[in-house]
This record gives sequence, structure tokens and C-alpha cells, in this order.
Amino acid sequence: MGIFTEQLINGLTLGSIYALIALGYTMVYGIMRLINFAHGELFMLGAYVGFTLLMSQFATGAGPGLLLLAVVVLAAMIAVALVGVTVERVAYRPLRHSHRLTAVVSALGASILLQNAAMLLWGKRYQAYPVEFVPAGRFELLGVHFTAMQLIILATALFLMLALYFFVQRTAIGMAIRATAIDHDTARLMGIDINQIIRLVFVIGPALGAAAGVMIGLYYRQIHYTMGWAYGLKAFTAAIMGGIGNIPGAMVGGLLLGVLEMLGAGYVSSAWKDAFVFIILIGLLILRPHGLLGERVAEKV
Amino acid sequence: MHRRPVVSTNGRVRALALGLVLALGLALGLASVTPASAQQPIRIGLQGPITGPWALEGEMAVNSVQIVVDQINARGGILGRPVELVIGDDQGEVRQSALTAQRMVAEGVVAVISSYGSSITEAAQLIYEDAEVVNIAYGATAESLTQHGHRYFFRTSFRDDRQGDFFAELVTTHLNLQRIAIVHDNSTFARGLAEAARRSLANKPGVQVVFYDAVTAGERDFTAVISRMRTTNPQVVYFTAYYPEAGLFLRQMRDAGIDALFIGGNAAINDEFIQIAGLEVAKGSLVTQEPLPTDLDYPEAIEFVNEYVRRHGAPPSTPWPVYAADALNVIAAAIEATGSTDSTVLAEYIRNELNINGITGPISFEASGDRAGAIYKAYVVDENGRIVDAGY
Amino acid sequence: MNKPYLRWIVYAVLLAGLIAFPRVASRYWTDVAVFFGIYVILGLSLNLILGEVGLFNMGHAAFFAIGAYTTAILSTQYGVPLAWLFPLSGIVAGLFAYVVTRPIIHLRGDYLLIVTIGLNEIIRIALINNPWGLTGGPNGLLVLDRFTLFGWSARTPADFYYLTWGFIVLIVIALVRLQNSRIGRAWNYVREDEVAAAAMGIDVRWAKSLAFTLGAGLAGAAGTLYAAKIRIISPDSFTFSESVILFTIVVLGGLGSIPGVIVAAGALMVLPEIFRDFMEYRMLVFGAAMIVMMIFRPQGLWPSRRWVRELETETTPGSAGSPPKPGAAAPAARSDA
Repeated sequence: MGIFTEQLINGLTLGSIYALIALGYTMVYGIMRLINFAHGELFMLGAYVGFTLLMSQFATGAGPGLLLLAVVVLAAMIAVALVGVTVERVAYRPLRHSHRLTAVVSALGASILLQNAAMLLWGKRYQAYPVEFVPAGRFELLGVHFTAMQLIILATALFLMLALYFFVQRTAIGMAIRATAIDHDTARLMGIDINQIIRLVFVIGPALGAAAGVMIGLYYRQIHYTMGWAYGLKAFTAAIMGGIGNIPGAMVGGLLLGVLEMLGAGYVSSAWKDAFVFIILIGLLILRPHGLLGERVAEKV
Repeated sequence: MHRRPVVSTNGRVRALALGLVLALGLALGLASVTPASAQQPIRIGLQGPITGPWALEGEMAVNSVQIVVDQINARGGILGRPVELVIGDDQGEVRQSALTAQRMVAEGVVAVISSYGSSITEAAQLIYEDAEVVNIAYGATAESLTQHGHRYFFRTSFRDDRQGDFFAELVTTHLNLQRIAIVHDNSTFARGLAEAARRSLANKPGVQVVFYDAVTAGERDFTAVISRMRTTNPQVVYFTAYYPEAGLFLRQMRDAGIDALFIGGNAAINDEFIQIAGLEVAKGSLVTQEPLPTDLDYPEAIEFVNEYVRRHGAPPSTPWPVYAADALNVIAAAIEATGSTDSTVLAEYIRNELNINGITGPISFEASGDRAGAIYKAYVVDENGRIVDAGY
Repeated sequence: MNKPYLRWIVYAVLLAGLIAFPRVASRYWTDVAVFFGIYVILGLSLNLILGEVGLFNMGHAAFFAIGAYTTAILSTQYGVPLAWLFPLSGIVAGLFAYVVTRPIIHLRGDYLLIVTIGLNEIIRIALINNPWGLTGGPNGLLVLDRFTLFGWSARTPADFYYLTWGFIVLIVIALVRLQNSRIGRAWNYVREDEVAAAAMGIDVRWAKSLAFTLGAGLAGAAGTLYAAKIRIISPDSFTFSESVILFTIVVLGGLGSIPGVIVAAGALMVLPEIFRDFMEYRMLVFGAAMIVMMIFRPQGLWPSRRWVRELETETTPGSAGSPPKPGAAAPAARSDA
């Protein structure tokens, strides 16, 4: 097993995390034409909520059970979804009819606020996920080595993405979401409650981000209140690469970005890898100004 | 207790009010406030990372210096005048450091204890030198700091090259290992230590630096560097950067199946390192560093540590805060001996004559401003997650 | 201010206050005024791009960095005097902006936003990695030279104060004239409706390129001032959050409004000062204040007069500027998606 397969697996793992976060950016953008700059912080909050739960009484002595982790992920998703809905209500709804840039600045304000709230709640120090809950072990699958945590991340991310895809494509609510993304007024005439749809999007996006946050916490174990911005920026880049507003685009963009980043680190230079990612983004946008799947797919969510 | 509120500076953001008129008013207001005490306090600055990623170091430095301030004031102050501490927060950032130093100068302090981190200190020492204010660094070890020919800069901490020598000695004579990997993060401090170690190893027969590279501070995934390092098959990894990266690096290195001995530089290993790496992984790691406060057996040190524990429940967890406390001891001794608060007089005295017993042992300075002598030790992370004397 | 003489009286008072300030204020407050001034220049330079032409540039710190590093490198390695570097850094930053934005200038709204953020990151990472040993890596570079002009050299905070604010007075005069010129009106036209502007014979690409080049050049010149003043420049002075602050200054002041930029820069710098009593809560309150200000003053603290006139002629509130209701058939918004 050479550096290539190793970096490919690392890249897919990281990429599936990016994809989960990117879905939050892309869904909000699809519905509201708003870059939710606070989304990276919601991801970070997810990591901290998961940390708090695992450190609390509730988890003592439980050991690395998958059921326990599933409960923790679910709880973090719920908690962060509540924060997401609140952010929408307080910082975005009053600005829905003003100039787009005012909403951008409000989003930046929300991001600063959430980041500092996390600092006050959990402190300035680096925190580490308790090691006893992290599933250990290494697997060999088709001649490729995985760690247990990588498999869990890949499986969970895939499950969540498929679930979202079918929800949006196959259910009545999903159809309402797609209709709202295309045209608010027409959707309203069709009897769709736009506010409900927006609220729903601010539940789904942050919840997916929170799941990604817990998994990053389990994967690298070290978390910090400033981490939201770096992952948020990467995920946003992924959403743009895939074509913002487009759900499959965010998934493809996320995985592609993760793999590119890790291969760049392996073959180019790990110190330059982020620059490498952005150079590829700029090159891609010069060739395809609306991202990989930006034009081809009609329905944008 | 003469302690001013933390002077915290946020960036950009030192500014004038909404209009010039308001600012004018404020300035006039500030100018009219003059302390009317007959016994004007001697104001001494402490610049450190009160907030930001190294906030823990800043907090311990303030606690430590405050103990010495209280000791001095309890025995009647310096020249009969009480000491007043002016705290400046540089947030562990280069630009903040320059701004904080400018603020310190404007506050009219007699001398400054500044700062933690070599790059941070380098930014501040320029401004203090220009303003002719004595400044004594407590957690800055890069060689370059004392190579600018500054007249007012001193440091109570030791220099990287001496730690590099110690590391070379440790791996060759005590551990007897040959294949060495060195990893730094391009910061003044970490690269300085890495280079010092490499230089020192070059003179030793039989050892070989097989891998020498940098990681990026703030990064979480080091698998690419580690994959490359693995192909060189090292027996020892000397990690000279800081603990948040050190913990992750060690764990990912073990995950990749490298079982080389991990030795950290003096910023790499502390309680948070153990927490991040996990005890199972961290135990057995070595660190080259200055003696911890609790390992100092001078009477001044024992008294100081007892007082610190009485106030804060536990001793300082890193060596640096005590150097800050000693910096104040140096300043106080110089003012007392010369009877002056003039910077030039103080700097001359500290450079040429000062010789005291501080908390960290005997203190005197070389012409460059470096502290004379050096003491390093190797510590090991034990089974219980404590960092204890390794006996080398 | 309908009576012209009243306006001149206000100008005279402001100018007198500006000149007198360092004589009454402490060294510290004079220093503060210098950094405030540098932010005003940066805000004005971004205003050309974001405010006048409506190009979403959230990576403006990159151009500031180019100016500051050009200054430091040429000054320390080649001994070029800082006074020459003042225009030179501007030219270098302007040329850089011209070259790198050429292929991306047609990108719309949010796509341009992410590309400029990316540009900011690329520059910052490059500075950290110390290419060809030029930038000094994470620790940056020391600037040991002094700003000297005709035998006068800037040393004290007051010197820098007069240097910075003298420059501001000059560029404000120049920018006001630019606003009212053909170019200024063409820019606003492009901002409001690109297609219509092109139909009226405006070379949209050229107008955008010019704004980027001029704005970046001004930021580059500000970089020289900054380097001369602070004397140590390092990559963490040019991060994304720096760009965010500048972006906020322009939007908060009111797009295209010169007095707005000055007021907003003042507000953004003074707010955290006022909140200093909150200590740890300071940035939390700062974030909340950004939200509140946008909700209650979406048009900015001091909207430009052209903008206000537009608002007055609109019947429906909120449809000023580009996109009205999200999802409604606003051409600008749709073409982004």
C-alpha cells in the first residue's frame, strides 16, 4: 500500500465530512441566496456538544459502543438544529427583504457571536475527546487499510447523504423544498408555507453539520472553538466547486475537495495544500463559472 | 493590591470615537487624570498572552508575577514606593504585540516583562528599544533575539542552542540512538531549536538526521508528512513545535505504525499534550526542557511554589511563569541597587553588575542580554500521565 | 447643508480639529488615530471595488499584504527608501490585482466572493511558507528603515498621524472627484445593472478591472504606511478576518459612501474599546452588534446621496439595490444560481 491509496482513503474520509458541511451551505443558499457564514460555527458547536455529552455522567463507563455514539450524534444534531433555527429567526429573517450584502454582514456577525459564545462556554483551551469512546482497530478491505473510525465516518456520511437525497427527491416535503428553491412566489401560490420550508432547511443543514462535528471530534480528537472557520471555508469551497444550490453537487464537491487536499499534501507539499486547493477552485471556476454540476441540473435546493 | 485591569487590545481596533470631537474630549479627559499620591507607585509592565491560544501561559505568568509584586509591597516596596503592575495582552500575536508595546510605552512604565513566544517578543523588543525601556523576556528562547545588538533587551529564559546541545547529548550518550527525525513548524522558536539540534548532532559521530521537515501550525492532519517520514525509518522523532500539534502528530504517527521514541522540545509537552494524544499513546514520551518550578530546590523556589499552590491550588504546569516572576526580581533588584528608575542606568546595571539569587537559581547576564549559564533536564510522561524527571 | 458656506465652515472646523488633535491628545490616542486612519484608507480602497462597482471582494487584505511585503522586502533587501516605496507598493499591488483578477472578473456575486477569499488564503499561505526566503515565514519581516521625506523623518506617533491623515485628505478629494466623473457614474451603472450598462456602451470588463486595480493600488499604498508604522509585518496581519472587517466597514458605512466608510471604520474600531469592560464578552457583543446594526440600519450608517435618492424614488421598500424578494424573478439573483 503506497502513499497514494493511503492518501486516497484519508481524502475520502475528510471529503465526506466536507460534503456533510457543504450540504448545509448549499441548501440554505438554494432557498435563500444567502451564504450562511455562521454554518462553520454550527459545525464547531456540534463537535463541542458531542464532547460535552461524552464527558458527562451519561457516558461514564459505557465504553466504545456504536449505539452510544449514535445517540451522541443524534443529540448533537438536535441541539445544533435548535441553534440553527434561532440564528435564522434572529439574524436572517429580519433581513430577508433588504440588500443581500446586509445579510452577509449579519451572517458574519452571527459567526463571530457563536464562536465567542463557544469560547465562553467551553474555554479557550484545546479540548480532547475522551479516548475510551473512540473505536479503535484497523481493517483490511480489498487490500486497502482502513481504521475503524474512517469506516464509521464513511458509512455514516453516506447514509446521511442518501437519506437526504431521497427525502428531497421522493417525498412531498422534499418537492416543496425544491419548488421553493426555484421560485418563492409561485411556491407560495401553490400553498407552500415558505417560512416553514426555510425553518426546515435551517434544521437539516445545521443537523448535518453537527454530525460532521462529532465525527471530526472522534477522528482527530482535538477540538478548538476556532476550528469552525477553517472547515466551514473548505466546505463552502466544496459547495461552490459542485455548483452552489445543488445537493449532489455539494456531495461530489466535498469528496473531490477532500481527495485533492490529501493528494496535494502527499505529492505537492503539506504546507501548500490549502493554496493548492484554492488554485484548483479558481481554475475550475474559470473553466466552469457555475461549478461542476451548477448548470446541468435544473432543480436547485 | 495595585493591579490595573487587563489592558486588552483587539486588533485593528484602537480607535477614535465616532467623531473627532468625542475623541478630543476623551483625550482631554485622560490627560487630566493624574494620580495625586505623594508615594507614586513604580509602574512595571507585564506583557503576555492573556487571551488567545496561549492564554494559559498568560494567566500563569500574571499569577506568578503578582506573587512577587505582593512580596515586594509587603516588605515596603522598592525605595519605599509600591509596585504597580500594568498588564498588557498581546494575544500571542505579532501585531498585537507591537500595539501592546506601544501602549506600554504610552503608559509610562519603568520596565516591562515581555513576553511569551519568540516572534511575539521580537515584535515588542523593537518598540521598547526605540523608546528606551528595559524589557526582559520570560518565555523567548530563539537565538536571534539577542543578535540585534539591543541595549535594553534581556531575558531570564535560556537560549535554544543550549537546549539543542542538551538534546544531542541526550540521544547520543544516554539513549544511544542513531537515526533521528526532526520536525518543526517554521516559527522562529521551533525552527531555531530544530536547527540548533541539527547543528549539534552534526558534530557527533555515528548519528544521522534522516528526516527534517516542517508542519503547519493549526493543522489537524499530518498524515502526509508522517507517510514520508516513515520511509526514512527513524528511531527518534524530535518535535520542536507546540503542544496542540505535538499531541496530534504523535497519535497519527503511532496510527501509521511508527514506534520511534517521541521527544518534544520545551513547548511540545504539557498536560494538554497528554490529553490530546491520549495517555496510552503519550506515556513514555520524553521532553527536553528547563526544570519545572516544582523541581527547583532553591529556598526562593520552594517558598514561591508553596505560595502559588496556596493561592491557585496547583503549581504552574510549565517552566515559563517562574521566569516572568524572576524578571520582576531582576528589575526590583536593579532599581534598589541603583536608586534610579532611569532606563539607561538600569540597563547598564543589569548587564554589568547584577547578580542575584532568583527563584530559578543564580541570575546574571552576558553582554548580549542573554542569561548566563543554562540548566536543562529531560522529563518523561509516566504511567499516570504525570511529567516526571527522567533521570538524565 | 443647503447653504454652501455652512458646508465650508464644517470642513474648516473638521480640518482644524484634525490638525490640532495630536497636540491635545496623548501619544496613545495619537497612535490609535494612526491605525484608525490606515483602516479608513483601506475602507476607502475597498469601497471603490465593493461600494462603487458592487464586486463582492472579501479578500482585500491580500492587496494590503502585497503592499506591506513589497515595502518590507525592497526596503530591507535593496535599501529602497520608504518614501519611494509608498507609490511603488501601490503600483505593485495594483498590477498584481490587474493580472490576477483578469480571468475571474466576469464571475458573479458569490462566486467572485469565494474566489477573492481563496486569493486571500493563497497569499497568506505563500507568506507563511517563505518562498525564496523572501517573506520570513510565520514571523514576517522587520522594517528597520524610517519614512523620510525631504529630510523630515517620521518617528513619533504625531509624525505618522500627519502623514496618514494628510494622505487621507488628498485621497478623499481625489475620490470625490472620481465619484462625480464619467468613470464614477459608469461604475454605479455597472453596479445597478450590468446588462443595461453594457447596452449603454460602457465597457463593463474595463470598468471592473479599473476599480480592482485602483482599489488594490490604494490598499498597497496603505500597506507601506502600515509597515513603516508597525515595523514588523507578519502573515497574521493579513488574514481573512481582516478582509471581513474591511468588508463590514464598507457595508456598514453604506455602499459607495465616503463619509460612511470613515464613520463605520470609527465605529468598528471604537466599539470593542467601549466594550472593553465586558472583557471576555467583548467579541460576543461585537458580533451581536453587527447583526443589530444590519437589522436597524440596512442602508448603512451614512448612505451615499445617490443611494438615498434612489430609495426615495422607489415605492416598494427593500427593492433598492440588486435583488428584491429572494426567489422572485430578480435577474441579478437568478443568474448567480
